Amino acid sequence: MSAPVLHLDGVTRIHGEGDTEVHALRCVSFRAHAGELVAVMGPSGSGKSTLLTLAGGLDQPTRGTVRIEGEDVGALGNAGRARMRRTSVGYVFQAFNLIPALTAVENVALPRELDGEKSRAARRLAMAALEEVGIVDLADRFPDTMSGGQQQRVAIARAVVGERRLILADEPTGALDTDTGEEILRLLRARCDAGAAGVLVTHEARHAAWADRVVFLRDGVVVDESGADPVDDLLAPEVAR
Amino acid sequence: MSRSGGWLAGWRPALKLARRDALRARGRSLLVLLMIALPVLAVSAAAVVQATADVSGIEGADRRMGAAEARVRPVGGAVFQSPDPEDYGAGGWGTEGESAGPVPSYDAVTAVLGDVRAITLREGWTEIPLGERRVSVNAREVDLRDPLAAGLFTITAGRAAAAADEAVVNDVLVERGVALGDTVTVGDRELEVVGSGVHATIRDTATVDVLPDALGPAFADYTPDVDWLVGGDAVMWSDVLALNRSGLLVTSRAVLADPPPVHEMAEQMGYDTGYGDALAIIALVVTMALLEVVLLAGPAFAVSARRQARSLALMAATGGTPRQARRVVLASGIVLGSLAALAGAVLGVVVGWALLPLAQRWSGEWFGPLDVDWRIVAVVAAFGLLSALLAAVVPAHIASRQDVVAVLAGRRGDRPPSARTPVLGVLLLVAGVALSAYGVSASTSGHWFIAIAAIVSVLGMILVVPVVVALVARLARRLPLALRYAARDAARHRTRTVPAVAAVAATVAGVVTLGIAVSSDEAQSEASYSPSLPLGAAMVNVFPSAPMNGSPEPVSAATWDEVGAAVRARVDDVEVVRGVQQQASDGSYLSVDFREPGDRTPLLEYWGGRLDGSLVVADTVPGVAGLEGEALDAAESALAAGSAVVFAQRPADADTVRVRLDSYDETGDGGSTVRRLAWPATYVDVGGDTPVVQALVPTDLAAELDHPVGTAGIYLPDPGLDEDAQTDLDEALGGITADASLYVERGYQAPDEVVVVQLVLAALGGVLMLGGTLTATFLALSDARPDLATLAAVGAAPRTRRGIAASYALVVGFVGALLGAVVGFIPGIAITWPLTYIPADQLGSSGEATGPYLDVPWLLVLGLVVALPLVTAAVVGLTARSRLPLVTRLD
Amino acid sequence: MSIRQAMLALLEDGPMYGYQLRAEFEQRTGSTWPLNVGQVYTTLSRLERDGLVEQVDGEGADHAADEGGHVIYRVTQAGRVEVSEWFTTPVPRTQPPRDELAIKLALAVTVSGVDVGTLIQRQRSATMAALQDYTRLKRSGRAAQPDQPEDLAWSLVLDALVFDAEAEIRWLDHCEARLRRAAVDGSGVRRGTAAPDVAAGSTTTPTTTPGSAR
Repeated sequence: MSAPVLHLDGVTRIHGEGDTEVHALRCVSFRAHAGELVAVMGPSGSGKSTLLTLAGGLDQPTRGTVRIEGEDVGALGNAGRARMRRTSVGYVFQAFNLIPALTAVENVALPRELDGEKSRAARRLAMAALEEVGIVDLADRFPDTMSGGQQQRVAIARAVVGERRLILADEPTGALDTDTGEEILRLLRARCDAGAAGVLVTHEARHAAWADRVVFLRDGVVVDESGADPVDDLLAPEVAR
Repeated sequence: MSRSGGWLAGWRPALKLARRDALRARGRSLLVLLMIALPVLAVSAAAVVQATADVSGIEGADRRMGAAEARVRPVGGAVFQSPDPEDYGAGGWGTEGESAGPVPSYDAVTAVLGDVRAITLREGWTEIPLGERRVSVNAREVDLRDPLAAGLFTITAGRAAAAADEAVVNDVLVERGVALGDTVTVGDRELEVVGSGVHATIRDTATVDVLPDALGPAFADYTPDVDWLVGGDAVMWSDVLALNRSGLLVTSRAVLADPPPVHEMAEQMGYDTGYGDALAIIALVVTMALLEVVLLAGPAFAVSARRQARSLALMAATGGTPRQARRVVLASGIVLGSLAALAGAVLGVVVGWALLPLAQRWSGEWFGPLDVDWRIVAVVAAFGLLSALLAAVVPAHIASRQDVVAVLAGRRGDRPPSARTPVLGVLLLVAGVALSAYGVSASTSGHWFIAIAAIVSVLGMILVVPVVVALVARLARRLPLALRYAARDAARHRTRTVPAVAAVAATVAGVVTLGIAVSSDEAQSEASYSPSLPLGAAMVNVFPSAPMNGSPEPVSAATWDEVGAAVRARVDDVEVVRGVQQQASDGSYLSVDFREPGDRTPLLEYWGGRLDGSLVVADTVPGVAGLEGEALDAAESALAAGSAVVFAQRPADADTVRVRLDSYDETGDGGSTVRRLAWPATYVDVGGDTPVVQALVPTDLAAELDHPVGTAGIYLPDPGLDEDAQTDLDEALGGITADASLYVERGYQAPDEVVVVQLVLAALGGVLMLGGTLTATFLALSDARPDLATLAAVGAAPRTRRGIAASYALVVGFVGALLGAVVGFIPGIAITWPLTYIPADQLGSSGEATGPYLDVPWLLVLGLVVALPLVTAAVVGLTARSRLPLVTRLD
Repeated sequence: MSIRQAMLALLEDGPMYGYQLRAEFEQRTGSTWPLNVGQVYTTLSRLERDGLVEQVDGEGADHAADEGGHVIYRVTQAGRVEVSEWFTTPVPRTQPPRDELAIKLALAVTVSGVDVGTLIQRQRSATMAALQDYTRLKRSGRAAQPDQPEDLAWSLVLDALVFDAEAEIRWLDHCEARLRRAAVDGSGVRRGTAAPDVAAGSTTTPTTTPGSAR
C-alpha cells in the first residue's frame, strides 16, 4: 500500500502530572491510508477522542510523532498546524459543528476563506461540496433552521471542501437517529472511496462496520484490530436452519 | 409557601444565586463593579474637594474676623442682609432706598451691643515696587498683636508690627526675595519687614500687614471702608437686625454657626437667584450620566442572565414563576450594585482627600478643613445602586419571558425583536425633532425645550437600535469573514449588543450636540469680532498706572523716547501718533464731544483704536487713521487747510463742527463744561466701521484746547511680528517701564478655553466609546467561545481571535457612532438658534438681526464616527488574546 | 423454525409449484437461508395433509402435471386463515433457542483456566468482521438502491443480520465491563480481565452465529 495519509507512531499523551496524571494514550501506533476508512471503538475513557485530537493537530503528544502526509505535525508550529487544518484535514464533531451566525454555504466555505481565498471562489467550492452531500437547496439557510441531520451533512461538506485528504469524525452520528446516521456514514464512505483517508470514532458497532478496519482501544492502548474480509466468506455453510 | 420572613424569604435564594454567580464569573462581575463604582467614586471625590474648597459660613469665621465675635462695617442707610453677607448665592446684602444715609460711627455699635471693645481693619489692593517690577499686593491695616486679631495671620518668622514703620509680609513675598529686615515701599511709606508668615485667606498673592493708619491718608482715601472686629458676647441675629437698622453690615460668628430659619429673613432676600437654572442643569447631567451607566452596565447583566438561562428555564419548567426568574437577575443587580456603590463611595472620599493638595494648587484661596457632606455621598451611592438595578431590569424582564423550550434545547440566540418598540422609538425621534423646532421658535427658555428634545431624541434612538442592528446584520453578506460574523452574531445576541451600541450612540449624540453648540458659539464670536487695528498692524502704548496716593502722572517724553528707540531697533516702519492727553496732571479727565451745528444727533456710536485719548493731533493724515481714496484726499486737504477731520457714522456735510470740552474729576463725578469751540471741519463718513479716534486735529487748532499734547501711541502698520518677535519686543518694553504694552492685531483668536472644551469633549467621547465597545467585545468573546473553538478546529490562525474582537468593536463602535452623530445633529442644529441668534430688536440701532451661526465641527464628527471606532477596534484587536480555545472533549 | 407459514404466505400470493416456491423464498429473503427442494416438498405434503393447501386441479392425479411435469399447489380457505393469524401474531420469545456464545461465555467464566478477556476480544473481532461484511453488502448491490419490493425485503433481512451482530458486540462490551468491575471489586471471579496485550488479529476460529437466534 502507499504511504499512509495519517501516521501516529508510538504516540503517548499524558494529562496532568504527579498524582493526578492521566494516561490518555499509551504508545499507540496507528495508520490510515488513502481510500481507507478506519473506525476507532472503545468505552469512555479509552482515549479515542484524544487520538482524534492528536491526529488533527489540536493537541500535541507527550511522546511520539504524528505525521500527516509525511509532515511531522508537532514540528509545524501553531500557524503551520492551523494551515494544515485549513487545507488538508477536515473535522466533523458530534454536535455544535457549525457557526450559527453564518449560513450553510458560508460555514462550508470557512476553511477556504480562512486560507485567504476570495469569497466568490470559496463560495463556488462550497456549493460544489454541498451538492456532493446533497443539500444544495439549504445553502443560504442558517443552522438554526435545519435539522440535526442536515447540520451534520453541512459539517461533512465543510470537512471535504476543497479535496481534503484526511477526514476526522468524532461520533458524528451520536445525536442522530438510525436512518439519518446511515446517510452520514454513506457520505463518509463515499468520500473515502473517492480517495480520502477517514478516521471515525464511534461507539456504535454497526456504524463502525462501514469502515475497512476497526481498531479497538481500551485504557489508551490498541487491544485489537479487525481487518477487512472479502464478501464471499460471509455465507458459511451452517447458516440456515 | 411559608409566610415566615415575608417577602425577604422569597429573595433569599435569589440573592444566594446572585452571589454565587458573581463569584464564579469574576471578570464580568469586576466589569460591572467598575462600571458602577467609577462614576460614584468620581462624583464623591469631586464633592469632597468642592465641599472642602468651599470655605463658607462658620468654617471661615476665624479668617474673616480673627477672634472677634463679629465683623461690622458701617455702610449707612437701612441695611438688609442674609446671615452671611458674603454669600451672594443666598442674597448677600443691600441697602433699602436710593441714597445711602450718613455713615454711622462706632456709637451705633455700642448702642446695640453695649460697651464692647473693637479693633479696626482696613484692607485694599494696590501695587508695590519689587525690584524691577511692580507686584500686586493686598495691603491691610490691622493690629495683629491684639487678641481680637488672632487667626487673621499666622506668623512663622519674626514678630508682628509694633510701630508705624514696620510691616509683616506673607510667604509669597518671601519667595520673591523679601527677607526680614528688608524695606518695602507701599504708596509713599517705607516699611521695615519684621515678620513673615501665612495669610489666613490669601494663598498665592502677596500681602502686607501694618498697624492701623501706618499707610497714611492716601490709603485711607483709596480704601475708605473700615471694618470693626468687635469682641464681647455673642452677637445674635436680633442684634444683627438692630445693627442693620443703624446702617451697619454685620458678619456674626454666632449667626454663621447657627443661622436663623428662612422665614426670619427679610423679604427682599430673593432666594431664587440662579439656583433654579443650576438645579436644572444638574438634573440634566445626572439623567444623562444615569443613562450612560445603565447602558454600559446592562450588557453584563444580560450575559449573566443568559448564563443562568438554563437554570432559570429549568426553574420555569419545574413550576417557577416569571417573577422568581426576574428576581434572580435583579438580585444580581442588587448584590453587585450595593458592593459597587459602597466601594465607590468610600474610595471616592479617600481619593478626594488625597487629591486635596493637588486641587489646592489650583486655587488662590486656602481650602478649609476636610469637609465631607455625607448626605451627598449617600445620594451618590444610592444613585450607583439605582443604576445597577435599572441596568438589570431589562435583562430580568427578558429572563422571565424567555422561551423555555428553546433554552432547554440548547439553542443560542435571542428572540426576534418585537415590532412595537422601534415604532415607539421613531415616534420619540419625531417628537424630538418637533420639540427642537418648537425650541427654535420660542424666544425665551427655548434652550429648555431643546434640552428636553435632546433627551427625548436619545431615548427614541435607543429604542430604534435593535432594528438598526438587525438591519446591519442583514446587509453583512458582502463583508469579509470576521466582520460578517461579528455583525450577525451581534444581531443574534441583541440583549448584549443593543445596550452597548446605545451607550456609544448616546455618548456620541451628546458630544456632537455640545460640539456643534460650542463651535457655533465660536463662529458667532468670530463673526462679531471687530478688529481694533488692520490685520497684522501693531500699536505700542504706555498707559500710566495709578499709584496709591493720587492720579497717574503723564508719561514723560524721556520714557517715550526710550520706548520709541526700542521699537525702532526692531521694526522699520514706525509712526509716532500724537494726541491730546486725556488725563490732566491734577487728576481730572477730559472728554471731548463733537456735534454738527444744528444737529443734536451723535456723530459716532463708538470709536477706539487703542490710542490714548480720542483726538489725534497731526498735520498730515497718519496711517493709523486707516483712510483711503477719496476720504484720504479729503482729510489731507482738510488738515493742510487747518481744518479738523471729524469722523461720523452717518452722513454729515457741514463745514464746521461744534466742540465741547468737559472735565471730570478723578472719581468720575461732577463733569463740568470747560470750553466750547467751533472749528472748521471736514466730515468723513466711515459707515459702519469703527474709527480709531473721534477726529484728527491740526496742531494749531489743538492749541486752542489748552491741553497738553503728547504721544498717544506708536503705530506699526506692518511690522511682520511673529509670536517670538512679539515676546521679544514685549520684554524689551517691559524693561523700560511696566506700563508699556504691545498689541498686535492677529484677527480673531479662539480663546484657549474653547479648544480645551473641544478636546475635553473629544476625550470624553473617546473614553466612553472605548468603555462601551470594550464591554460589548469582552462579553461577546466569552459568549463566542464555542464558535471560536469551531474556527480553531477548522484551521483558523490564532490571531483570528484578534480579528474577531476588533470586528466586534468596529461594528458596535461604528454603528453606535453613526447613529449617535445623526441624532446629535437634531438638538445641535436647533440649539444654535437660542445660542447665537440675536433678533433685530435686541441690538439697538444697528437694526439687523444677526445669526444664527451654524458651524459643524466636521473634524470632531468625522473623528467620532470614523476615526474613533477604527482606533478603538485597533486597540481592542491589539489587546485581545491571540489564542483560540481548543476543543476539549471528555471521553 | 419450520417454513410452513412462509410457504403458505407465498402460496396465498398465487398458486405455485415446488421449485417456484423455493425460488420465490430465496429471492425474497436474499438467499440468506437457502432451502433444498426436498424440504419444500415435504412441507407441502404436510400442509396438504393438514388441509391448508391443495393441489390445483383437485380432481385426481390425471391432470397433476403441467408442461414441466410440476405439481401446482394452491392455498385453501383454512390456509388463508392460518396465514392471516401468522401475520397478526407476534413471534414469541418464550423459549430462547440455545445460544452457543452465551453458553460458551457462561462456562468460561465459571470453569477454571479460561482467559475470558481474550475470548471476548477475539469473538468481538470476528463478529465485527462479519458486521463489516454485511455492511459492505448493504452498500452495494440490490440493497443499496432498492427499487422493487423484493429488494427492500432483502435489505430488511440484511439489516436484521446487522443489528443482530451489533447486539452481540454490545453484549460482549457489556460483559467485558462487568467482568472488569467484578475483578476490581474482588468478588468471586478469579481472572479474565487483566490489561491485555496488544493483539493484532486473531487466529482462533470464530463462532459466527448469523441468524441462529431466529
